[in-house]
Amino acid sequence: MSYGLALIYGVLKIINLANAGILMLGAYVTWWMWDAFHLDPLLAPLIVIPLFFVFGVAMERLVVRRVLDQEPIVSLLLLFGVWLILQNVAYVIWTGDTRAIETPFVDATVKLGAMQLSWARIYVFCAGGITLAGLQLFLTRTHLGRAIRAVAQDREAAKLTGVDVDRVNAVAFGIGIALAAFAGSLLSLLFSFNPDFGGTLQLKSFCVVVLGGLDSFVGVAFGAVALSLAEAFGLRYMAASLQNLISFVVLVVVLIAFPKGIAGLLRSMRRG
Amino acid sequence: MLEIAGLQVGYGEIRVLEDCSLRVERGEIVSLLGANGAGKTTLMRAVSRLIDPGAGTISFEDADITRAPASRVVEAGIAQVPEGRKLWPDMSVEDNLLLGAYAKRARAHIDRSLEEVYALFPRVKQRRRQIAGTLSGGEQQMVAIGRGLMSRPSLLMLDEPSLGLAPIIVAEVFASIRAINARGVTVLLVEQNVAGALELASRGYVLETGRIVMQGSREELLASEMVRKAYLGL
Ligand SMILES: Nc1ncnc2c1ncn2[C@@H]1O[C@H](COP(=O)(O)OP(=O)(O)OP(=O)(O)O)[C@@H](O)[C@H]1O
Ligand SMILES: [Mg+2]
Repeated sequence: MSYGLALIYGVLKIINLANAGILMLGAYVTWWMWDAFHLDPLLAPLIVIPLFFVFGVAMERLVVRRVLDQEPIVSLLLLFGVWLILQNVAYVIWTGDTRAIETPFVDATVKLGAMQLSWARIYVFCAGGITLAGLQLFLTRTHLGRAIRAVAQDREAAKLTGVDVDRVNAVAFGIGIALAAFAGSLLSLLFSFNPDFGGTLQLKSFCVVVLGGLDSFVGVAFGAVALSLAEAFGLRYMAASLQNLISFVVLVVVLIAFPKGIAGLLRSMRRG
Repeated sequence: MLEIAGLQVGYGEIRVLEDCSLRVERGEIVSLLGANGAGKTTLMRAVSRLIDPGAGTISFEDADITRAPASRVVEAGIAQVPEGRKLWPDMSVEDNLLLGAYAKRARAHIDRSLEEVYALFPRVKQRRRQIAGTLSGGEQQMVAIGRGLMSRPSLLMLDEPSLGLAPIIVAEVFASIRAINARGVTVLLVEQNVAGALELASRGYVLETGRIVMQGSREELLASEMVRKAYLGL
């Protein structure tokens, strides 16, 4: 989910507040396909990813494109509105009841030394790592991937080499949405959810993205690790209900201390 | 090859170019001279379709490109090396070059283009794995020119390639422009280094506050009182 947010911000320079809504929909679609058609939730991404990619491209073409040149507040409000709409659609279709996916795999655990780990958690962790690697390969080794980075770093220079910036925007938005839905699909294996699902995670992924640097995926991955360490340490000294506060605090501290994130910090160190 | 007629361009209310006309023939090096703020960069941005002209026409090889999308201009064979280089600073030198070949017309020849660029600028080859933002100004300018060449243009437009470079590097860059032209690439060169530009170019135009106030061959321009006073400081 954080990768999606970073990708969309990097290329289109807008913050996709609807990400949480997409995450929630990704979870619901996974659950619904399992509940209604007995589709193994592990296979759901095969459908969820292309479906939401198309949805994201359409969303960019029809809605987001119109506000790209306007003040940031316009796209923020618009995408916040989209989030609310998605939530309400989910209420109408699936009601507000809490849903959860239960399959033998999801409930199975494995013992690693003294730790009891669920297979689902291991699977989700690996899927996140593989996605990062895949995304990195796509962005560095393919023409389209390089074009996406080019638009993120200097839009005019990209135009000058013949990159169709409108198309890149649409593809980047599509990938960002597909990643959020994929994340939702994965998380539906770990957590039960309702149409409000994603809100806290959205906060956390902002934090992760800001921590990592708004346009670097490796930075984002570091950000994720750093935040979970901060949370784990925080939990030893304070009540669990305050856990989300940590995200807030980290967010504020990072924004003040090094606004370009970890990636920016590394970059300026490399440049000397 | 390139023909600009009656071009008028502005930013919002401000008019920058007024009724600007010029042409570039195949194989030439033409220089466009003018003081700061005359509108040279604006003219190039209009040709590359980064900005919409208010009036006038731009045609390239007899096709009207006045309203074409920027990507089609590149496909048609026009590349611009913009003022200030505009590399992608966080990408490697080689990625910058590879992106230069993004246009369909260039994709099939990437390996050959890359070899040609490296042959022209051996220093760039040495630095190909380095992050572009960490190169020296001269090296960055070479990468920017190389990136322009990667699209295999028939017309290369260079906007102040000597800006901010040491004299010895400027000589190197100018020599490379001559070599590029010798291979059959037509060049439109914007320069404030008028003496240097007129050594390269066979013809030139002088742009002042948005209008072409003078044009002529190198000899005519060098002999002109106005050019000598205003641009050569003689
Ligand atoms: N984005 C912009 N918005 C408003 N005015 C602009 C913009 N870009 C350029 N101008 C104005 O247009 C005029 C011409 O600018 P331009 O950059 O084309 O000049 P130039 O001849 O390239 O100058 P230089 O030699 O300094 O590069 C200037 O007066 C400049 O202030
Ligand atoms: Mg200029």
